[in-house]
Amino acid sequence: MSIFIDDSTRVIVQGITGRIGSAQTHWMLEYGTKVVGGVTPGKGGTSVEGVPVFDSVEEAVRETGANASAFFVPAAFVLDAFLETIDAGIKFIVVVPEHIPVKDVVKMRSYAMEKNVFALGPTTPGVLVPGKGKIGIMPASLFAPGRVGIISRSGTLSYEFAGILSEAHVGQSAVVGMGADPVVLKNLADILEVFQEDEGTDAVIIVGEVGGEQEEKAAGFISRKMNKPVAAYIAGRYSPQGKRMGHAGAIIRGASGTVQGKHEALRAAGVEVLDTPIHVAAWAKKHKLR
Amino acid sequence: MRLHEYEALDIFEQNRIPVPRRAVATSMHEALQVAGEIGYPVVLKAQVLVGGRGLAGGIKVASTADELKDLAEALLSSEIKGLPVRKILVCEKVEIAQEFYLGFTIDSYSGKPVIVVSTEGGVLIEETARSAPEKIAAIHIEPTFGYYPYLSRSLLRRLGLNQQLITPWSDVIGQLYNVALRYEALIAEINPLVVLPNGGLMAVDAVLEVDDSALSRVRLPLPDRIDRIENPIERRGREIGVSYVDLDGDIGLISSGAGLGMASMDIIGQRMKPANFLETGGGITADLLYKCMELVMMKPDLRAIFINVYGGINPIHEGAKGVVRYIHEHKVKIPIVAKALGNRQEETWEIFRSGGVHVVTEAATEKAIDRLYELVGA
Repeated sequence: MSIFIDDSTRVIVQGITGRIGSAQTHWMLEYGTKVVGGVTPGKGGTSVEGVPVFDSVEEAVRETGANASAFFVPAAFVLDAFLETIDAGIKFIVVVPEHIPVKDVVKMRSYAMEKNVFALGPTTPGVLVPGKGKIGIMPASLFAPGRVGIISRSGTLSYEFAGILSEAHVGQSAVVGMGADPVVLKNLADILEVFQEDEGTDAVIIVGEVGGEQEEKAAGFISRKMNKPVAAYIAGRYSPQGKRMGHAGAIIRGASGTVQGKHEALRAAGVEVLDTPIHVAAWAKKHKLR
Repeated sequence: MRLHEYEALDIFEQNRIPVPRRAVATSMHEALQVAGEIGYPVVLKAQVLVGGRGLAGGIKVASTADELKDLAEALLSSEIKGLPVRKILVCEKVEIAQEFYLGFTIDSYSGKPVIVVSTEGGVLIEETARSAPEKIAAIHIEPTFGYYPYLSRSLLRRLGLNQQLITPWSDVIGQLYNVALRYEALIAEINPLVVLPNGGLMAVDAVLEVDDSALSRVRLPLPDRIDRIENPIERRGREIGVSYVDLDGDIGLISSGAGLGMASMDIIGQRMKPANFLETGGGITADLLYKCMELVMMKPDLRAIFINVYGGINPIHEGAKGVVRYIHEHKVKIPIVAKALGNRQEETWEIFRSGGVHVVTEAATEKAIDRLYELVGA
């Protein structure tokens, strides 16, 4: 039984009639994902890539038995569609779009937690389980089946790490984009927990970024709860310091999310910190991962 | 988008937060006129969008017209942390009995709005947070529950304030929260919030940063954000819809994601220096990458360009066409290295090669930078 996506996963694509929604439906189907329907209000009764389109999520769920959703809805309409999707009973949602107002994300996150929904994003490439399927936009050619989990804040860097591992003949159990926004629907530590409990995962790679405190909080989880090897790379060492002007964030965090601070927190939790992405291949070899 | 202090003070005032009498001046003569109307002494504050302005010499007090002439002249011809001072705010100088801190932000980890207060405001507020945490109190607002005044009252009682101060201060908190909500602020801050000798409160400084993703629906009565960008290449980047940050190196960079762009800079920075950060996001077309080439080439004396793109959501074969068209039209002589993987990668490589681009097909960006390093003969 694989994590995130298995034989019972039935996906609807919201915004399926758009340019990106229809193109990505094509790639998801080609990778073997069970895309069973699409939703675009007002376009019900049509079809895209042979997949039936419905006017509402409720109808799509009733007609297709869908239990997961991929979002390709314009940013301004995401909050509304997200609440609709939760009310229709879907428990796994991937929110691909970028530029969603934080105020909306705050509401989405709160409702998803209340209703026990596992949601990724916003600004996520989604999730790919090699050989099983993908929900989102990850380019399939870079991934290979195996036993290493990847969690990345950046979409493109999740591809980079999967590509380096695959080239070194190390496969992945699942690759998860947690989303690049300041507020995300699922925090890093919560996703780590899924990998820790997964029998198909032997080790996990965290691909983080300068800023925020996801990696620092994850370090706390790792030292308390994880016994699988974890490696981490933090992008942004060379990035110019932002022109930060407020204090409230720094006051409540007590630190400013520097690369160095993240390295220290992760090392203290026993995580192997990678100086540069390509070092992940040697780390995988050292732990005999495949 | 960060607002200037004078813009934020106007918005605070419209929302019934007490603020000092003030006006903006762009010349010494304007400053003189404003000060005459307000009455001396006045405070002159450089209007630049950077933190730590006071410590960098951007805030001065003028007690007389003669003093003001010299100080205004000096400020308006100065730079604060590299930014030219084009405007100064001339403010009444108020008597300060006590300084507090009040801030609003979104706590990214919990995903909740948070209000932070302290009985010790001023420039060293973050230091206070470390050395005297008992002087700071914060409250997270439950998104589905919302804000109610009792939350502020209990917050302020935790700081040991007396009831005379709790009432006006909790009013200011409620008003600041309304501003933050209405303008979709990521940061709204008053530091210091001062207690006047008569016991009233006043915001003598204002910080407001509005969520860029919400700008289309917030509708601020202010100049467009593009006009706020000082650097001409960065401004052009915003116009074509990409994130461009000007840096001091000579290796141009085009990447299709922020994380990939940051990692590319880290790797370039191991042996060379990036000239810029550029991230396209998910909207690559032939036209966009043509414009990205124009943008990167605006910087003089580049030694090479590195293109690092993935075909996930992006049609990279289309992007490659734009790059090659630019190379042919402008007879680009410097080496260009491209790493392009994902959907339709083989087609993309062929197009790049037809323009003389050095294509690296391995997954690791380090390999591509090795190639680039060889080509620039460093």
